[in-house]
Amino acid sequence: MPPMNLLQTIVMGLIQIVAVLIVVFIMVPLLTFAERKVIGYAQVRLGATRTASGTRGFTASLNRGMWAMGKVPVLSFFRGLPVFVADAVKLITKEDIIPAKADRAVFTLSPILSVVAAFGVFSAIAYYPGVMFYMPKSWPLIGGLPFNGAIADVNVGLLFILGLASVGVYGIVLGAWASNSKYPLLGGLRSAAQIVSYEVPLTLSLLPAVILAGTLNFKDMSVILSTGQGMSPLAVIPLFIGFFIYLTCGFAETNRVPFDLPEAETELVAGFHTEYSGMKFGFFYLAEYANMIVVSCLATAFFFGGYYLLPFGLQRIIPASVPFLGHPSFLFFMAKVSLLLFVFIWVRATLPRYRYDQLMDVGWKYLIPLSLVNLFIAAVIRYAF
Amino acid sequence: MRLLKTLIPGDIAAGLALTGKYFGKVFFSANRKKVRAHLKHFTQEYPEIPVRLAPRFRGRLTLLKDEQGEIKCVCCLACEKICPTQVITIEKGKMEGRKMPYPVRYDFEMERCIFCEFCVESCGFDSIILNHQFELAAYNREDFSLGMKGLGQNMFAPSPVGKYSVAED
Repeated sequence: MPPMNLLQTIVMGLIQIVAVLIVVFIMVPLLTFAERKVIGYAQVRLGATRTASGTRGFTASLNRGMWAMGKVPVLSFFRGLPVFVADAVKLITKEDIIPAKADRAVFTLSPILSVVAAFGVFSAIAYYPGVMFYMPKSWPLIGGLPFNGAIADVNVGLLFILGLASVGVYGIVLGAWASNSKYPLLGGLRSAAQIVSYEVPLTLSLLPAVILAGTLNFKDMSVILSTGQGMSPLAVIPLFIGFFIYLTCGFAETNRVPFDLPEAETELVAGFHTEYSGMKFGFFYLAEYANMIVVSCLATAFFFGGYYLLPFGLQRIIPASVPFLGHPSFLFFMAKVSLLLFVFIWVRATLPRYRYDQLMDVGWKYLIPLSLVNLFIAAVIRYAF
Repeated sequence: MRLLKTLIPGDIAAGLALTGKYFGKVFFSANRKKVRAHLKHFTQEYPEIPVRLAPRFRGRLTLLKDEQGEIKCVCCLACEKICPTQVITIEKGKMEGRKMPYPVRYDFEMERCIFCEFCVESCGFDSIILNHQFELAAYNREDFSLGMKGLGQNMFAPSPVGKYSVAED
């Protein structure tokens, strides 16, 4: 492979960024649709089944034809799908109100901060170890160049991700403060306390993975942890415990049910985004769902087997000679991320919200000691076996 | 003990299993008509699928005929007397070959009817029922005056307006 010049590097980088952004921007609205559907099904409802009138239009005539034939139409499942387009259009076209007494600069800055922190993390995530595919030879300028599995292969990738992800809380706190209203302020304070306290067990739960893998590079960590090369078979234990601790902290970090205290509807009107409307609110919304995808990506890569089939370093059962199942694949990664995203929604359909003191109890009294014990187990396994 | 209970979240697992069970149930049956009929607590896709009504649902007043095709009503005027809004008007008459009186007119003003089913309860001859129709809206006031010989709707057949509703079985 010839070394790339500056222009080629920039163009390839842009192509990869755009590709990742497109995937994320498709996944986020699909997630909102999935949320409606999954919660509906879990509560024995149907969720969204139609967008507009049931008697007019092309899809409606198609549907009526199938009803007439005595069949349930295929479209009745997907008819709720256009709702996500309507959601996006509504967010973009809605009037953007800034309260008179709000701090305009900070009020505008905080959604941007939130969304940048959420999307910046995607740059260090590797979706495939090594080169995904090569650009076609016939294309000008970029012909034959590799399309990497990651936008940037940072050698302290995990540190970068954790650092950037924790910036997101500034968006929430600053936005809450700049709204100049009591409910957002209370929501922002809660959010700050919650995210700061859950940052500790989150990082501590990732440390066993770092110890076992012996590196901070995202791609290397993921490959070592899932194939289990040079790891003791006992390493399954800390990885298994760490997975659940990480997932719990991930729920708290993304402000999802059961830890969605910052936007507790019953107490604080809508929490930190009470005063936000239009696309500014849309940015917070986008950031929340992007954070969900990030947490799922990290959990998949470090604990859930990454690009390989089996989770928790059990991949060594399948030898690399098996045709499809023994090799890393982008499909496995995406399937596992989707599964974890489903778990996010599933938990939301199941659990009620924690009380504030219970939330702090879980964080400080249980998760931190548990993750420290887990870290100790991992260290013993790393150096004794 | 409490520590162990917190560390091993059995309650959360049980809750997830419950919602997961229902999710699977609906997921695998949502687009199949045959399975759907067995699910009781389920959103009814009403305009497309005929809605399931309780057997005692109170719809529009209907006059019944017996096996010979004769009107069962004998003009005892019990329904007319008991009706709280006085929407029923009956005119007694005689017919050849019939012992009992015969209704020449049986008028029903649906616009004032409150669907209380007192008329059906008071009827000693089981000659009227309330059917299962509920889509009874109309554009004209005259459409709510039902008689025995109406063109659009009369006292015997179900009203034609309810395109999707179930004709009683």
